[in-house]
Amino acid sequence: MSSGAWKFLASLRLAIALLILIIILAVIGTLIPQEQEADFYRQHLPGLSGLILFLNLDHLYRSPLFLSLVFLFLLNLLFCALQQLPARFRRLRIQGEPGAGTVSEGPEPRDRSRLERWLGDELARLQDIFRKRRYRVRLVSTEQEKIFLARKGLPGLFGPELVHLGLIVIIAGGLISAIFSQRISLALVEGQTEKIPGQNFSLRLDRFTTEYYPDGSVRDWKSLVSVLENGQVRLQKTIEVNHPLKYGRLSFFQMSYGRDWDRTSLELEIGWPEGGIQTIRIRTGESINLENGARLKALSFIPDFQVDSSGQAYSRSPEAVNPAALVEMVEGDRQLFLGWVFFGHPDLNRYQRQTRPGLKINLKSFSAPTFSVLEASSDPGANLVWVGSGLLILGLLASFYLPYREVRLKQRAGAHPVLSTYARKNREAFRQEVSHLLGLAGKKELKDKTDE
Amino acid sequence: MNEFSFLLLAFITYLLAMLAGFISLFRPKIHWRRVSYYLGLGGLILHTISLITRTVHSGQAPFTTMYESVSFLAWSCVLAVIIFERKFRLEKTGPYLWLVVVALMALASSPALPKAVNPLVPALQSYWLWLHVSVTLLGEAFLAVAFVASLLYLLTPEKKLSQPGQEARREKLDQLAYRAVAVGFPLFTLGALVFGMIWASKAWGRYWGWDPKEVWSLITWLFYALYLHTRLVHGWKGKRSALIAVLGFLAALFTFFGVNYFLSGLHSYA
Repeated sequence: MSSGAWKFLASLRLAIALLILIIILAVIGTLIPQEQEADFYRQHLPGLSGLILFLNLDHLYRSPLFLSLVFLFLLNLLFCALQQLPARFRRLRIQGEPGAGTVSEGPEPRDRSRLERWLGDELARLQDIFRKRRYRVRLVSTEQEKIFLARKGLPGLFGPELVHLGLIVIIAGGLISAIFSQRISLALVEGQTEKIPGQNFSLRLDRFTTEYYPDGSVRDWKSLVSVLENGQVRLQKTIEVNHPLKYGRLSFFQMSYGRDWDRTSLELEIGWPEGGIQTIRIRTGESINLENGARLKALSFIPDFQVDSSGQAYSRSPEAVNPAALVEMVEGDRQLFLGWVFFGHPDLNRYQRQTRPGLKINLKSFSAPTFSVLEASSDPGANLVWVGSGLLILGLLASFYLPYREVRLKQRAGAHPVLSTYARKNREAFRQEVSHLLGLAGKKELKDKTDE
Repeated sequence: MNEFSFLLLAFITYLLAMLAGFISLFRPKIHWRRVSYYLGLGGLILHTISLITRTVHSGQAPFTTMYESVSFLAWSCVLAVIIFERKFRLEKTGPYLWLVVVALMALASSPALPKAVNPLVPALQSYWLWLHVSVTLLGEAFLAVAFVASLLYLLTPEKKLSQPGQEARREKLDQLAYRAVAVGFPLFTLGALVFGMIWASKAWGRYWGWDPKEVWSLITWLFYALYLHTRLVHGWKGKRSALIAVLGFLAALFTFFGVNYFLSGLHSYA
């Protein structure tokens, strides 16, 4: 790879440009509703729908444009880390040149002898001063050179690289999730067993309970399930929201519940014109023969009855807001009654037709079996995301709270002693602090190249 | 005395702390700043009592409804102000930070935010609620400090800079903003993103769903990542990075309030 390309991919300016672009796209994605049918956009955003669909803004976060930016960001992080790591490791070495960013100076003449004394008779005191400030001290004394090195916050030196590595791992995990994760939705009634597709076990719902608060709102849903392998119960556990079941490579989550309105049990009250009231229990879809030769049929049930503009009955919601049952009564081949009876409106007979005047049918009560909605998911990328997150947090803590500091006093044989200091942040302040500590009077000279 | 009474007392104390702070700007006698500091501390104690009382009374974490979250955010901001006042002198930024606190307390006390205790829906019944929300709001409190310092930086009129000492003063605002982000950013990363992802994976089976709240918290995070990097590029440090810190906090506010009211998704209960 050409060094120009390398420099570009590792550059800070690229990082800044990518961050800005990703921010802009991410914002757009929250303003345009995502993952809807094409007609949705044509209806609600008529002028823009063409542009939205053309630029893939309806599924922006998995669009080629967005994914390329994320991938480029991944490369940027990778190349930057590869570029910086050698310099960081070089800084670990005691001997050799300290590297860019170090503030060094050949001291002012009046400080020379002071520094020589520090490296000479007062070396023990020098070590002491820095050890007290929790620096790690290393000494090298050869014929060619004498080096005193005091360092603090070594993990902090690698902080940014750790952050970037964490991000790389997270993004990699995210890409794996995007490609390989699976989600299956299950709706189980009590007693029902479902074979899990792609797995060798089944799940049976043994009991489903809904708990309520005093004010009537839902407090909890609990699904007691059994895992069956070859007909044997391997495990029985209660699944609640925030308490999934892990089995095999899947995790099962309690998402919500529903009612099977197509199997509603009805309690109907029939008022005969000649007198007498009869209570019948019947299930939707069933018919019952009555003693007087009539036949009662429960044709269908709608929990939230509404009539649309073409006169068609439908359910506005899955909740029992306006329950209604479609009932028919026949005698031989004569239809006595056909129509909707309403739980909340016993006198509403607009949707009824009857040939036997005085016949009244009421819906007294109803109950539908509940089914539990569980979702199973498997996500091989998740573990990488957790590892990456850990690295990210450790890296941030190290970068900000363990700032790396270095004080180096070095004298080559026959030359003057040199004092070098290095700090990531506040270099000047640190330099002055150290000069003051060592009792130096000299004015500082800047050899400060910004390297990161 | 119920928790709301303690909240109101704290509100009044913070208001006084703010006034003392502003007075100290015009009468730079040391003791007005001290008065402001101690009033702030007193208010924090009253506010803490309010939060504890609320927790005991409701049996839940004191940051599930909007009212509770705003109160907790205000509390966190006061904590951030107290900590920063002790470690670095806040000088000009202090009274404006109190202004932010007072605004939050006014919002919390107002009838616009219902005070009722809502029983927790199943999705919120997890100890991750404690960790995710509290650490996020604590982080945001420090980002608020950076916001005010950066705003003051940007609003320093150019001609004032020629006066002696003003350039150095403005530099200090820049330093303060950076230090605040250095505390707030890791906390926000941990609370909003990491704990958020862990909780989402436990409750919904996926750690990230690109829902508006998640995306906006990522946008906020990206702004501060941008902030930290622009400080390393000559020419971008100073005004541009201060602007980014301001925008980042506005993104954080939108994540907190805007998403619930203007956009919808799985997150739309708090």
